[in-house]
Amino acid sequence: MLDADVEVDRREFTVRAQLRVAPGERLALFGPSGAGKTTLLEVIAGLVRPARGRVQLGGRVLTSTEHPKTFVPPWQRRVGLLRQDPGLFPHLSVRGNLCYGPGADPGRELAQVADALGISALLPAMPVALSGGQAHRVALGRLLLAHCDALLLDEPYAGLDASLRRSLTELVAELVDAREVPAMLVAHELAEAQAFAHRLAILDHGQLLQVGAPDEVVLRPASRRVAELVGYLGFVPAAGPEGTVAGVHPERVTSGAHDERGVVLTGTVTGCRPSGAGWEADLAVDGTTITCRLPERPAEVGGELVVTVVDPPSFGPDGAAVARPGGSYLPSGPSNPEQVGR
Amino acid sequence: MSGLASVLGALVIWLALLGPVIALLTHLSGSAIASALTGPGDLDPLYTSLASGAVTLAVLLVFCTPLAYMMARGTLPFPRVWEAGVLCSLLLPPLVIGLLLIFMVGPYTPLGELLNATPWHLSATNTFLALVIAEVYESAPYYVVGAQAAFADVDPRMEEQAALLGDRPRRVFRRVTLPLAAPGLGVALSVAWARAMGAFGAVIIIAYHPYGLPLQIYVTLQETGLASALPYALVLLVVALPLPLAAFTWSAHARRRRRG
Repeated sequence: MLDADVEVDRREFTVRAQLRVAPGERLALFGPSGAGKTTLLEVIAGLVRPARGRVQLGGRVLTSTEHPKTFVPPWQRRVGLLRQDPGLFPHLSVRGNLCYGPGADPGRELAQVADALGISALLPAMPVALSGGQAHRVALGRLLLAHCDALLLDEPYAGLDASLRRSLTELVAELVDAREVPAMLVAHELAEAQAFAHRLAILDHGQLLQVGAPDEVVLRPASRRVAELVGYLGFVPAAGPEGTVAGVHPERVTSGAHDERGVVLTGTVTGCRPSGAGWEADLAVDGTTITCRLPERPAEVGGELVVTVVDPPSFGPDGAAVARPGGSYLPSGPSNPEQVGR
Repeated sequence: MSGLASVLGALVIWLALLGPVIALLTHLSGSAIASALTGPGDLDPLYTSLASGAVTLAVLLVFCTPLAYMMARGTLPFPRVWEAGVLCSLLLPPLVIGLLLIFMVGPYTPLGELLNATPWHLSATNTFLALVIAEVYESAPYYVVGAQAAFADVDPRMEEQAALLGDRPRRVFRRVTLPLAAPGLGVALSVAWARAMGAFGAVIIIAYHPYGLPLQIYVTLQETGLASALPYALVLLVVALPLPLAAFTWSAHARRRRRG
């Protein structure tokens, strides 16, 4: 079990987080740039000392600012960190890189890991000859051979193409499951975080806003701010006290009026453009503009369009999520998100 | 046409820079070299220069490498002050260094008296030790500046990664930092070697004896004329230049191999 309850003072704000990641569990940290996600990983890895708090891994206290004060140095933590730059040692071959860790077995285990990662043929090559995807596989293999007790991934696949990102994410997920180590991923893209994680943690301005199952967090954001971060681009007035709004996620909008599925909106199309395999339209509704992605081309600009926002989350005037009178539109919709507040 | 003119222009400048070496080679005959260097003791200045140069390099490696590393990593307080100090010693004219060394390690200074009080009655003037001191002072700033740049070129995240894989700082330095900085360190060390071999300004003030190659050239020039000094000039070039040339070639090769 990886257990972190820390506060790190930064120039602009204090990063506060309390997280527990079980062996074999995959947690994704998601939030805007500069929210403190990397700082959290660096505290766990021992590269940054927290102002207050405690980090524990598998019963070992790695950092504690309370008596007895403890700080286990990075080389004794057995915590693997993979960043966007795979950080392969350029003066060592792939084999040399894989076997770098003191406990690395250059025999059977090396062959097994290299085989599992599909890099057996690259063992004699130098890092400069590797592609981005190959370099990441080698870096991952190096962490596996070093027998890390926890795996931290800091936007490791940024800059790689989508299919490579997907295959590497799946590979890491399989390896984490097989080794039963806690894993944390800092993700730049929500889809990547959702694909990887059992749980999603939303961090903003140093504060952990919500932790929960990915679909729970995305479909039932604990606050308007969380909703904005996970992609709700518009907010329209909703039933409830004055100031209550419903969040509109572009991908949870469907054409036509379907009262039983959500909130029906009628508006004027103010913009329309192709988006992936469908269309993205801007719709002016009661002075608010919402964006929706539709499978078919909507009405021409200036035309009227009726859409249904499927089971939207509602937020009170204070920005906190409020339950819809009568419950969710969808009987299977998630409820009771785990909200974190300190 | 303009391309050819550029190449010709570059060639003229290159030849002009190499002019002194060309002049040396065109004014030397085999018999002159043989007669100047085959007498008893003729090669003593060469041995003295080689020995003092080797000791100087050892001193630089042991004492200046950690300083360069700490300066590169910014672990010292007031980093600009340290850099200014090194730059100051780099810019001091060698003759002035020699004069000031007399006031620092001369026989009537506290340091000089301390050296004399040792069981070996050491002296930092007109001895092999004095020659080494002069060479160290003339070459150290070049090494520190070069080594600092070499260490700064090593991505600290490489060291961080090595630590996370289980290496203690000393092991990280030996297995990652040093090999990655080696090409730059090699160049810095070879430049320091060339400076030590050619050290003259400080040497003539505090280490007139024993003669190294530069002083031998100067003395021969004074006593027997230009022609007799030329063979020693050739010997100085032969011992001073190959190391920097080899280091530059190796460094370029190593960087290409790592960065593609």
